[in-house]
Amino acid sequence: MYNFKTGIAHIDAVSGGFEAGTNFLILAPPMSLAEELAYSLTRPLTGEYAIVLSTNDRAAEVVDAFKVIGGDKRYVGTIDAITKSSSPGIADTNRLMFVASPTDLTGIGIKFSKMVELIFDGDFSDGESGLFPPPVRFCVNSVSTLLMYRKLEVLYQFLHVLTSKLKKIDGVGFYLLNKESFDDKTVSLIKQLMTGVIEVKVEQNVHSMRVQGIKGLSSDWLKFSVQKGQVVITP
Amino acid sequence: MISTGINGIDEMLGGGIPKGSWVLYSMEPGVDGQLFTISTLFSALKKGLSCLVVLPHTTFDIFKYDAAAKRGCPLEIFNKKVVFIDAIDRERIEKSSRKRKEVQKKWEARIEKLCTENDVDVVFIYVDLINDDLGLDGALSVANTAKTTSKTTVILEHLNLDGKRCIERFIKKYTFDLIISISSSFRTHPHFDYFTLMHTSWSTVPKRSVPFVITEGNVVPYIPKIVVTGPAQSGKSTFITSASDFGVSIDRRGTTGDPTTVAMDFGWLSWKDFDITLYGTPGEPRFDPIVPNLLNHAMGVILVVDATKPQALERARYHIQLIKEKHLPMVVAANKADLPKTMSDSQIRKELQLGEDIPIFFISATRKSDVRLVLESLINFITKFTY
Repeated sequence: MYNFKTGIAHIDAVSGGFEAGTNFLILAPPMSLAEELAYSLTRPLTGEYAIVLSTNDRAAEVVDAFKVIGGDKRYVGTIDAITKSSSPGIADTNRLMFVASPTDLTGIGIKFSKMVELIFDGDFSDGESGLFPPPVRFCVNSVSTLLMYRKLEVLYQFLHVLTSKLKKIDGVGFYLLNKESFDDKTVSLIKQLMTGVIEVKVEQNVHSMRVQGIKGLSSDWLKFSVQKGQVVITP
Repeated sequence: MISTGINGIDEMLGGGIPKGSWVLYSMEPGVDGQLFTISTLFSALKKGLSCLVVLPHTTFDIFKYDAAAKRGCPLEIFNKKVVFIDAIDRERIEKSSRKRKEVQKKWEARIEKLCTENDVDVVFIYVDLINDDLGLDGALSVANTAKTTSKTTVILEHLNLDGKRCIERFIKKYTFDLIISISSSFRTHPHFDYFTLMHTSWSTVPKRSVPFVITEGNVVPYIPKIVVTGPAQSGKSTFITSASDFGVSIDRRGTTGDPTTVAMDFGWLSWKDFDITLYGTPGEPRFDPIVPNLLNHAMGVILVVDATKPQALERARYHIQLIKEKHLPMVVAANKADLPKTMSDSQIRKELQLGEDIPIFFISATRKSDVRLVLESLINFITKFTY
């Protein structure tokens, strides 16, 4: 079974990283380095691929963000739910695909399947790794935005399909949710779809995280920072 | 009739969709099935029909670019008789009231007004967001106002997140004339999509699933495996060569001195909007162990017999037994019918113990028109066969 290294020594030493076929909710307040944490966990290592569903940033911004953290853009695909509203004629490429808006779950589903298909067919990028099944990291940034546009029940079903598909392809998924904007029922429902939860908090300008749902890993709060895309656990 | 824009489906439906029908294209998440609605829309526009497209999830600008790119058509297609209700209209309607009933009335009034003013023939509704806003009953009530005349056709597209249960509910509770479910295997590799005719009110086409591929903006129904089998020297390789646009035959000189297939024949053809792959089995008994494997996952079988050789029919009975075990649709091609002393239909039927439901075609496998007739019959059989 493939393990996705997190780059966080504390986690990798205990569990070897995230197991293939798992999904993690990143539950965080605004301005808590949650996006940086999500992108760091999604950054593809050698032989891996990443797909980002972006409902907040344009594809160009996502590509830049990965460039800054050392992610090879040839292995990063973006499904952009923003740009089309201002550039209706923008065309898809293998690694940059566009949907009309975050309400367009049909389009999101299709583009996700297409990207996965391209990766599995070896048509996503030059210099394929040869690993099969190809390890795919997936990030939804963010579930909060999707929830603003679609009913909870509908989004729950949609995420159920998406997380199941990711399990089938032995990928790993990270789903960002702003815990301050939604009630407990909503958070609890979304949690049901996940293998684990990465919770983030900010107190007196200190960022802390804890991971729940990985065997052998304690769920104690760990102080952290993100430096050049690398999550660093601080004492 | 209104064409779906997909000839293979029109054939299955007996020419298309009758005017005034209620149609549902139900898509599972992740399957690239948007071209079904777009194909029907473009087909209607090209025929000069007046259309209303309801797009609560997007703007008409985005839709135009996406639809034209998907279909490989110039944007000018939208200069024809078409009006839109899009995401901006939805926002306006949603903001007009906090009461669901009033919002529903606004939707109904807007659709009715546009249908009446533009004498609309076909209405296309992307129903998901209206369903979110008003519930399914409310959304379908809104769609119902589009039926300003008995000849107005309403086509709904929705994302089916509930699977089979959802379709069953649509069939039982609502009176759709046609429901096509569009699904995806989502096997990681290979990946394939297929559509299923779940329900029609005007024809007797049974529930049937057919894989499809998207080629140059067209939905192309795809029959991945038709097996051509039968006794040695009956003309299977010739049949496949005549039928195919492209084919390979692996032959060696047999014990009688004639060439005989030693592995299998392969042929590919694009015909009547179907992409079809043919697999030919070897006929010599020493290859019998591989024939059942070649029949695995086939969608239909053509049994080729030599119409001048009654003594070979006993061998054909072995092949029929294999086909029956797999419950596959079958047609019989009685080859070499252009030669003297051919058997009659009743003689072959009696020898092979075939019922009247299995057609026998007297052909010469060297004639393309003859083999295409057999294929046409089998495709009809495949798309209408009750398992």
